[in-house]
Amino acid sequence: MPLFGVRSRVPHVLFALHSAAAAFCVVGPGYVWWGAPARPFVLGLPWSLVWPLLWLLSVFASLLLYEAWTRRVEAARAAEQTQRERGDG
Amino acid sequence: MADGLLAMSSDAWVVSAVALAYLAGCLWVGMRGGAGASDSAVGYVAGDRALGPLVMYFIVGATVFSAFSFLATPGLAYTSGAAVFYVLGYGLVGFIPFYFLGPRAARLGRAHGYITQAEMVAHRCGHTPLAGTMALVSALSFVPYLALQIKGAGMIVNRLTEDQVPQWLGAAVCYLVVLAYVLKSGVLGVGWTNVFQGVLMMALAWAFGLWLPYELYGGVGPMFERIAQARPEVDGGALFLSAPGGKSWSWFITAGVISTIGFVCWPHLFMKAFSARDERTLRRTVVFYPTFMVFLVPIFLIGFAGVLFPTPPPSAEQVLPHMLMSLDLPVVVVGLFCAGALAAGMSTGDAIVHASASILVRDGWITALGRELTSTQERRAVRVLVVVLMLASYALAVAYDDNLVSLLLYAYGPIAQFLPGLLIALCGRRRDGVAVHAALVVGVVVCVGLKLFPQLAPWGLHEGLWGLAANLATLGALAAARRQPARCE
Repeated sequence: MPLFGVRSRVPHVLFALHSAAAAFCVVGPGYVWWGAPARPFVLGLPWSLVWPLLWLLSVFASLLLYEAWTRRVEAARAAEQTQRERGDG
Repeated sequence: MADGLLAMSSDAWVVSAVALAYLAGCLWVGMRGGAGASDSAVGYVAGDRALGPLVMYFIVGATVFSAFSFLATPGLAYTSGAAVFYVLGYGLVGFIPFYFLGPRAARLGRAHGYITQAEMVAHRCGHTPLAGTMALVSALSFVPYLALQIKGAGMIVNRLTEDQVPQWLGAAVCYLVVLAYVLKSGVLGVGWTNVFQGVLMMALAWAFGLWLPYELYGGVGPMFERIAQARPEVDGGALFLSAPGGKSWSWFITAGVISTIGFVCWPHLFMKAFSARDERTLRRTVVFYPTFMVFLVPIFLIGFAGVLFPTPPPSAEQVLPHMLMSLDLPVVVVGLFCAGALAAGMSTGDAIVHASASILVRDGWITALGRELTSTQERRAVRVLVVVLMLASYALAVAYDDNLVSLLLYAYGPIAQFLPGLLIALCGRRRDGVAVHAALVVGVVVCVGLKLFPQLAPWGLHEGLWGLAANLATLGALAAARRQPARCE
């Protein structure tokens, strides 16, 4: 059964891909390849700090979007269920 | 020592008074926190499964940010520079799996009455001795983790009293307060003190993290520019500011991976799935958790501010109290900072001691050994173990001389070995308890063995990763050998 009873897997796949990319970029070799240099300084902070902070913001944004989508789907499913029960009654 | 206390300057007395006021505040909040809970074991351990979003947010955030965050993190920034950013990395991704695992665990918890992680895994896999092993491994990891918080509190009190109050005594006073409200109020006492402590430490971390670089260097940007000039390797684009003796890439990546996995599996955090009011509360806690991570940024800045500080601290972990005591600051401000640092350690210590005692009773005594306890007896047993574990951790904290980071990294390794069993219990179709149990034992033995004999760990990788590899290999081999595993719901 699909997660949360939803047929479309696109949001799940997008969220999983984004989380995997974040993990690779801040924990795995991605940090070594793209996040490690101290320069350039951005707003006075070294790039090696700005890089995980940007990922932090993007993970927060993606979690917010994913949660909003999940809630909408759950609400729709609950409404559908109620309608079905009324129909049965 | 009485002579020493009398010899303390008036400034040290004011700082100590502020810290004592904070401790009194904690005690008051903690003692009142459990007023609404039932007298049952579920009330004491899981808050009657009724924790709302505010308490959940702070209970998770303040539990994660510990004495390690306030003392060891600036210490790591001071000694190894940007290597410290691994904390941001693992914290960022470590909690995402809980978005999916947490609500599923909560559903199972309500259906079957689970209040601990091991109880759920053992029951789902149909192998009750597994709960006992998980309880033992948890306790073995929790004791050093709690010792770390106790040691941190002792260090802070020692510094703020100008070395007149020894670390063992300072730690004892702080953790007597923790003991009092954990014994009285259980998880609700822990939760409400975490709200109080979380707000305090976040406010103080930001205030000091921005103020210190401004005071010492004229701002955050000028501070990093000055460090770059003094340390040419930064201009060369290197991650680590202190190349000699710095950490290797393999350490950076594998410590991050194991910490991420350990983060998902920490029993005291996972147990909160059984405490939340509903699934939405759990999911929202994960969604807003990254906002708590931002709290680490000022902590990093504090550590970097120490890099070019004129006088070196007695040890890296004391860089922050050392700077504060050396600068000409209003004493109330120094006292407030010390209160914030104590809050960070105590907010984690209380959750750990409460969780580990609950786990040992529920998983070790009741589930694994099959002893029957009434709700009142269970509650009493948890309280007795709170005292025992607190004493064991206190003894370790007093006896242990190595640095705080290594103590924390030791704790993550064995806990990371829970991951395969946890995933199988929550998502697996074939749940072979014997295979999960054997694999867990092998993983923990390899992990602890390589910690004791680090020269045997190939390529400088974190021992927890080798333990996990052995764990998965055993699980795969046993699952293949035992084609008809016992299934149990």
